[in-house]
This record gives sequence, C-alpha cells and structure tokens, in this order.
Amino acid sequence: MAKKARKQDVAQLLKKWSQQFTVLAPSRASGVAAMTEWDGKDTSFLEWYRNTVVPPKASFLPQTEEMFRFRKDEEGYQIEPPSKNGQKQLLFGIRPCDARAMAILDMTFKDAYQDPYYLEKRKNAVLVGLGCTNPCQSCFCTSMGTSPTDPTDVDIMLIDIGDHFLIEEVTDKGKELIAKTGGLKEATKNDEAEAEKSRETAYNKVSRKLDTAGIKDKLLDSFDDEEFWSQTAAKCISCGICTLLCPTCYCFDINDEVVKGEGTRFRSWDSCGFPLYTKMPMENPRSEKWRRVRQKVCHKYEFYPMAFDVIACTGCGRCIRLCPVNWDITQVIESVPDRVKGAK
Amino acid sequence: MTVSDTTKRPQFFAQDNVYMPHIVVIEKIIEETPGVSTFHFNFKDKKLAKEFRFESGQFGQYSVFGLGEATFCISSSPTRPDHLEFAVQKVGRVTNALHRLGVGAEIGFRGPYGNSFPLDTLKGKNLVFVGGGIGLAPLRSLIWNVIDNRDKYNKVDIVYGARTPADLCFRYDLEAWDKDKTINMVTTVDKGDDAWKGKVGLVPKILEEVSPSAKDAVAIVCGPPIMIRFTFPALEKLGFKPAQMLTTLEKRMKCGIGKCGRCNIGDVYVCRDGPVFSYKQIKDFVSSEY
Repeated sequence: MAKKARKQDVAQLLKKWSQQFTVLAPSRASGVAAMTEWDGKDTSFLEWYRNTVVPPKASFLPQTEEMFRFRKDEEGYQIEPPSKNGQKQLLFGIRPCDARAMAILDMTFKDAYQDPYYLEKRKNAVLVGLGCTNPCQSCFCTSMGTSPTDPTDVDIMLIDIGDHFLIEEVTDKGKELIAKTGGLKEATKNDEAEAEKSRETAYNKVSRKLDTAGIKDKLLDSFDDEEFWSQTAAKCISCGICTLLCPTCYCFDINDEVVKGEGTRFRSWDSCGFPLYTKMPMENPRSEKWRRVRQKVCHKYEFYPMAFDVIACTGCGRCIRLCPVNWDITQVIESVPDRVKGAK
Repeated sequence: MTVSDTTKRPQFFAQDNVYMPHIVVIEKIIEETPGVSTFHFNFKDKKLAKEFRFESGQFGQYSVFGLGEATFCISSSPTRPDHLEFAVQKVGRVTNALHRLGVGAEIGFRGPYGNSFPLDTLKGKNLVFVGGGIGLAPLRSLIWNVIDNRDKYNKVDIVYGARTPADLCFRYDLEAWDKDKTINMVTTVDKGDDAWKGKVGLVPKILEEVSPSAKDAVAIVCGPPIMIRFTFPALEKLGFKPAQMLTTLEKRMKCGIGKCGRCNIGDVYVCRDGPVFSYKQIKDFVSSEY
C-alpha cells in the first residue's frame, strides 16, 4: 500500500534524507534549473518546477569529471584515483522521462566494459520521481513508451494529489528507504483514486504526439538521401545544445590539465554536432553539417535500437525547447520518407 | 551486429579501472622517417611486463601526461614479448609531444583494446599483405606473428608502398622480409629518386601487377584511407571476395572502449567491435563514413 505526505512536509522529509544522502533537488541557483545540492530549506521548486534545463544525467556523468590525478616525483609518475567517491546521492523530483533516460544510459555504461565512475554513482543513488502535473508543449513522453507519472525507472514515485503527495515504493531500495524514514501516513483508497485522476489528467495534457512505428527501417532506407539530410540540417547552427542537454546523450571528451605540477585527467561532455568531434589529422568523416545532424538523429532512432532494442529518446522535449533556431526532432522524425509505402 | 563480447580478450586494468593508465617506460626510439618514429616500451611494473598479453591487431591508448591520450596499434608481435612497440606520425599535440621524448621517459598505456586479426581463419591460407606508409604498423605485428609460426600459413605476399623512398617505414623489416625466401616482398614508391631501384607506382596498381591468386587467400590491407578505398576494388578484380579482405580502420578515439561515442558507425564502435573488419562487414555498415 502506498504512503502519503503533506506537501508542506517535504522539507522535513528531505532533511531526514539529508542525514544519509547528498540530497539533490531542482534549483535555479546556478542560473538555469538543475538538480542541485539541496540547501536544507527551500522547497519553492514544488511551485515553479516543470523540468530542469540541465538533465539529471549531470549527477552521474558530470559536465566535467575528474578521472584521476597524476604527478611526477623522483620515482616517476604517480597516479591517484579521484578524491571523491562513494558519494550517495538522492535525486528528489526527477521526472519519469529523465529516469527512463538514466535506464537508457545504463545500457551504454554497463555494456562490454564497465564505466566505473558512472556506475559507482548510479549504484549508490536513489531516484525519487515526481509526477508531472503540467507537461510542456514540447513534451512527447507518451509517444516514447513512458508517461508524466510513470514509476518504472525510479525507486520512489510521488504523485500530486492536491495538498498531499501519494508515495509509491517502486523498488526494494525505495521500500527500504521509506521503511527507514518512518512517520509517513498510509494512503487511503480515496488518495489512490485521486492519484489515478492526477495520472490521467497529466497524461492527457501531453498534446504532442510522435509516431515512431518502423522508424528504424525508415531511417535505414533514407540513410544515403543527402537531399533529405541537407534540408533537415539546413537551419542547424551546430551549437550542440540538443546533445549536450539531452538526457540520453553520453558522448564525452578526455583531456589533461596541469596546475602547479598537479595533473588531472578529466572527461567532459562532447557533441557529435561539433565538426572537431571526429576530426583526424588527415581527414574528417563528418566535416559536413548534414552528416553530423544525420548522426545525431540516427544514433537515437536507428543505431541505439539496433544495439539495445530501444530508442534513445524519451520525449523530454529539451532539444525542442532549447534549440536557438527551433529545430524540432518530432518534425524531423515525421518527415523521414517512407520509401516502402511510397513505392507502392 | 550486437555488442561485441569483449570478455575473452586479454584485460589488464590499472587499479581495476578501465580508464587508468599503466606507467610504461620508453626503451628505444627508431626514427623511421623524418615524421615517423617507432617507440619500444615496457611496463614499469615488472610483474605486469611478464603477464601482459595482446593479439595482433589490437591497440592501446597512450598518454603523454599533461597533454592527453592518443590511439595507436601495438606494432610489435605477441610472439616477441620481451617488449612492445608502437609507431607514431607527428601530426598533433600528443604525437608531437611523443616525438620530443627520449629513452627512459615514462608515458601512460591503457590496453590492449579492440579485436584482432582472426588467426584461426588465416591458418593454412595464402596471405597477401597490402600496406601503405605508416599503415604497415598493424600489419607488421601480424607479419612477424606469421613468420614466427611460418608452418601454420601458406604463401605470403607483401606489397608495401610509400610516397617516396624517404617515406618508407620499417626498412629493417622490409630488408628482412626481402631476404626471407618464404616471402614474396614487393616495395614500391609513388615517386622514386635517382637511387631508387625498386618499383614505382601506386600500391593498388602494383598489387594488380603482382597479381596474387585469390584462391585460398586472404588479403590484409592497411594504409591511408584513400589507398584502402582503391585497394578493395583492385583485389576484387583479382577475384578476391569481400569476406577475403581484411583491414583495420582508423577513427578518432578517446575512450577506446565504446563509450565516448566518436568512432561510432551505425551500431558499430570501431574501438570496441573493430578495428579489424572484413570488407564484407564494412560493406554492411550503415554508413560509408569509414
């Protein structure tokens, strides 16, 4: 049976969790909405928060992340693992689309070789989802196999039921935490009914739809259609924001920095939208913009499904909201020619 | 293609972390051409130096600490394990820094990564090696491997070319293979000089002149992309099927393990699923951006 908590008691709940975790919650302190270490009091995000600009992947694959340190002494180079590890994060308020994105990122970071930095943080983290009540016009999660209140990929799910949140314990990790937290009231049948209404209302508010049936094959058939891709890429200014702030994009660069004899190797977000990304000394397979836009679209809707049987897009809508030239992935996907049908 | 099974490949992680480099020491530097040098190196950790294994075709990520990492194949043969080798052309920040290092310098090494030449398939076959410039580096790992197990393989042809005689790499190898009676060694340059007595002509053209039989043969091709693209059709003319042609692809890489994204072609990551591919596999790639 689900639990419930009054909205005004959220601060208390977060305080309790802060004893065990580094609690992250939506905040605009940095200038844009992002999951930020909670300041111990502010829950005003419950009013303004629709989704963060910076996706929660940043808590697991930070924009810049130390991989190790190195320094040279009389015995040669010494390499030390990063100073920060074992950190337990609790993300409060993650949206279902972004939680789904984490599950998608897990596939890449677990496959073949384990990525220790990402997986360590993932293993130690608790995701507390917060169902949407006010999806954006750019959101299309319901077309991408999730929904504004989908609990599948979080540990604990909160659903807005007026002056309370209904609290669903989704995973064992979530159950354990709720049991440990204590002091939460049992939800009533009436609360469950309210939650169901809330889910339905939110679902129906997602107005943007995208038909992805057969998209993998359509893209495969259109792969060499330079005209289509050139048109698709025409207004793109290669700023990279749609990839950098995409919750399922994971590309990174690796670089060294030495300050006063102390060296750091770090990785930082990179983007297939940038021409330097694939540049080699003698050639660059994707120096042309249309090839880079094609890579971005096909990686999400064709290559990822080929490798993992899932589209690497959750309909969070960030790339639509944040694009400076109004490039729209849903329009692109809908305009991919259906050559099989066309031939008939 | 699904995600490659990498568990059967040799794995030597430093501090249990796939991104942490081992410290290796440069033992010898051979200037191949004015812009290309071969570095002989060994692990600082003597135990690891003994235990380390790799297969011909695999690559490593080499660090010049403070400047970053670069990707090079291991150009020595696993049959000669007393040290490892890689060859570097001076083209960018890290490669220029490598060229400034001397014997005794410490660098970082992660690896081995990637797949390798399929020795089981090559057994008993006639082997045709086609190389250009520094592209001989991954081939020479396999060529010495074959020479050290000579009875396992049949005829061996090597066609190797460079732009000018001064651009020929691994001359000590070329001489050794030329003297080896069990090998047909043909060296060519695009443009000769007064002292040049060998062949003059582009590698694909000379390959057609040498005209190795496609019967029970496998061709292994590596060189600049332009040479590779012209060599495949030349081999097809000689009767080679796409499955009988192997190459190792070069892509910009950072992580070496299929995460950082840049060597992605369709569902393939060249670092994880390659770098060794047959022309048949390449033709099945979603993209021609190889």
